[in-house]
Amino acid sequence: MRLTVERRLEQPRWLGLVVPVVSVVFALLVAALVLLATGHDPLSSYRQLFDAAFLSTGSIDQTLIAATPLAFTGLAAAAAFRMRVFNIGAEGQLYLGAIVAAAAGLYLGGRGGASPGVIAAMVVAGAGGGAAWAAIPGVLRAFFRTSEILTSLMLNYVAGYLLTYLIFQSESYWRQTTGFNAKVFPTGKPLPSNAVWPPWLLHAQGGIDLPLGAGIALLAALALWVLYRRTRFGFEVQVLGDSEGAARYAGVRTRRKILAVMAISGALAGIGGASQVGDFAHALDGDPNGLQKQGYGYSGIVVAALGRYNPFAVLLIAFLIGGLDNAGNTLQGANFPSGLVGVIQGIILFSALGGELLVRHRPRVVRRASVAEATPLPGAVQ
Amino acid sequence: MTKRKLALGAIVLVAAVAAVALAVGVTAGSAKSNGAFKAAWIYVGPYNDGGWSQAHDEGRLYVQKALGKAVQTTYKENIAVGAQFAQTVASLAAQGYKLIFATSYGYVTPQLAQKYPNVDFEQATGTYVGKNVSEYFGAAEDTVFLSGIAAGAAAKCNTIGFVVAYPIPEVIRHTNAFALGAQLAHPGIKVRIVWTNSWYDPAKEKKAAQSLHGAGACVLGQNVDSPSTGEYAESVGIPWVGYDSDAHQFAPKSWLTASVYNWGPYYLRRVKAAMGGSWKPGFYYGTIADGFTKLAPYGKGVDTKARQLIAKQWMRLKKNRGAEFTGPLYDQSGKLRVPKGKKLTVSQLYSMNWLVKGVIGSPKG
Repeated sequence: MRLTVERRLEQPRWLGLVVPVVSVVFALLVAALVLLATGHDPLSSYRQLFDAAFLSTGSIDQTLIAATPLAFTGLAAAAAFRMRVFNIGAEGQLYLGAIVAAAAGLYLGGRGGASPGVIAAMVVAGAGGGAAWAAIPGVLRAFFRTSEILTSLMLNYVAGYLLTYLIFQSESYWRQTTGFNAKVFPTGKPLPSNAVWPPWLLHAQGGIDLPLGAGIALLAALALWVLYRRTRFGFEVQVLGDSEGAARYAGVRTRRKILAVMAISGALAGIGGASQVGDFAHALDGDPNGLQKQGYGYSGIVVAALGRYNPFAVLLIAFLIGGLDNAGNTLQGANFPSGLVGVIQGIILFSALGGELLVRHRPRVVRRASVAEATPLPGAVQ
Repeated sequence: MTKRKLALGAIVLVAAVAAVALAVGVTAGSAKSNGAFKAAWIYVGPYNDGGWSQAHDEGRLYVQKALGKAVQTTYKENIAVGAQFAQTVASLAAQGYKLIFATSYGYVTPQLAQKYPNVDFEQATGTYVGKNVSEYFGAAEDTVFLSGIAAGAAAKCNTIGFVVAYPIPEVIRHTNAFALGAQLAHPGIKVRIVWTNSWYDPAKEKKAAQSLHGAGACVLGQNVDSPSTGEYAESVGIPWVGYDSDAHQFAPKSWLTASVYNWGPYYLRRVKAAMGGSWKPGFYYGTIADGFTKLAPYGKGVDTKARQLIAKQWMRLKKNRGAEFTGPLYDQSGKLRVPKGKKLTVSQLYSMNWLVKGVIGSPKG
């Protein structure tokens, strides 16, 4: 007897919905065992978790703070991974987006209420910053066949040090230099009032501030869907992702596609950075214990994978993971170690990602006798 | 009905039951309160980091013990500045916490404080005092200076290594105080620094300690939160001066002493004031004289001569806070920064951006 996992010849539609649900239920059951073993009531813990993430007054407000950047980095990863270009650099591209967008906001901004022109300039600047940073591994991959996984990852550290340098280690344009507080602890220069992105107030749950960035993420998802599903460009990207050889044979210009896809991916992450400045921090956050500790760029990869690179699914997953992230802060405390929160979050994500295997593959028990005779199916994962 | 449809049905049913149970549970479970006053502490690192955050948590437990059931305390650990802090405050406010001790600067912003007018904030190490925001800290430079004496006296070579967090005035003034203390006990000694750019990062702190030892340091000190530096010092058999908490158990042989904080009494006063409705924003700067800053018990490496010197300086600083920063003081380039007989004020200490003569490293990180 032997257990093999083989590719499904057909993927029933219902499986795409059932597998994630079962995976999460399974994860909650496993996590319940962990909770019981550590002396916590699983039901009350889960109730608190869902309450803090989505149900209690003001919870969605807080969930959106984490969900908005995750939506951008998730879309960034989805855009690149669809073509099997593995841009791991959304983290750094987000920082660069934040840096350039903050510069635009500080330079163009002024007094008064939100100015559409200034905000649009910040979005464009953020996209440009992210795209330019992503273009470095893009060019290296397209012309020198360097692994974009390594180069984009390494550039994250460079971007992180740059961010810290701008606020903590230099008297840069982004740093607040006037006033006593600025001498005591380095902070970013606050944005002028008309460069602050106005939230959209939803009259639910005692008032939800829908960040402008969340709306932009929705538009970006729509644009990405149209681009990948309804244009020749998107078709070529998909062909390239499925088989580079076939695409080349069909005359697809590979280098251009790699550059374009990296730039789109970087631009999306960069707008996420602009949203960090405009929606939330209202200044450039260079504190290594701030934005850099959140790791939105890395979590975005998980978001994209769970969303199966579908832009709208990415938004939904970003919202759910944002909730999980936010709830973790509520759950932890004197009687609930933060490490245990991490374990529960990890079990849920691990199980959800692991379950994805079952959408495309199925486990099969093979009897020993038949092994010798059976020729493995093409694409079987042993 | 096929097997698949059956399975699908079962799953939908399970999900529905779970959802209903959850919804019922949520409505039943919310808004539980037993009338105790709720106060929360927010930490940059783990509550048991062996340093800064642990000292604060001991203060929290001191309050809990003193007030018993009248107060309910909790803490949130490993909280990042910005988004995560905002989320944490929102959840604490929703749960009815009325007093929040934010134990690191950069946490409380004016916008955030204004969003929760019914919550009082206390922020350690900062300068922003607002309608519902107090600031508190202590003259640790005095006790760090004393711990520097212990380091200088224990040094058998001419270099002490000092692991430092961020290139900000707080850390710079502690580094300077440490160097001045070391130089008092061991004239001409150099203090070499390595920045980690993090309050709590055991791996980076260990690497910093390693590189300082490699550069010739025969005693180590620190202005970071974990005891990694001490563990490394113990492994190579050189003396170590800690910071924030008594951490001798991490390096019993290397341990000399540490400048420590006694946050408890301040916390108790503030919680009591908030409970009684007399809480007012303010700025508190604790001293040796009021017992806020102390020296942890000595290890074997602090000899009698060093103990006598520390005791003498202790009395001087008890009467005259900040006396170690009396001129003449020179910076790294040899320029006179504080003329003879002058002493730095608290605001000068809070904005110090230069390192004293004898420190090797850049004040810009």
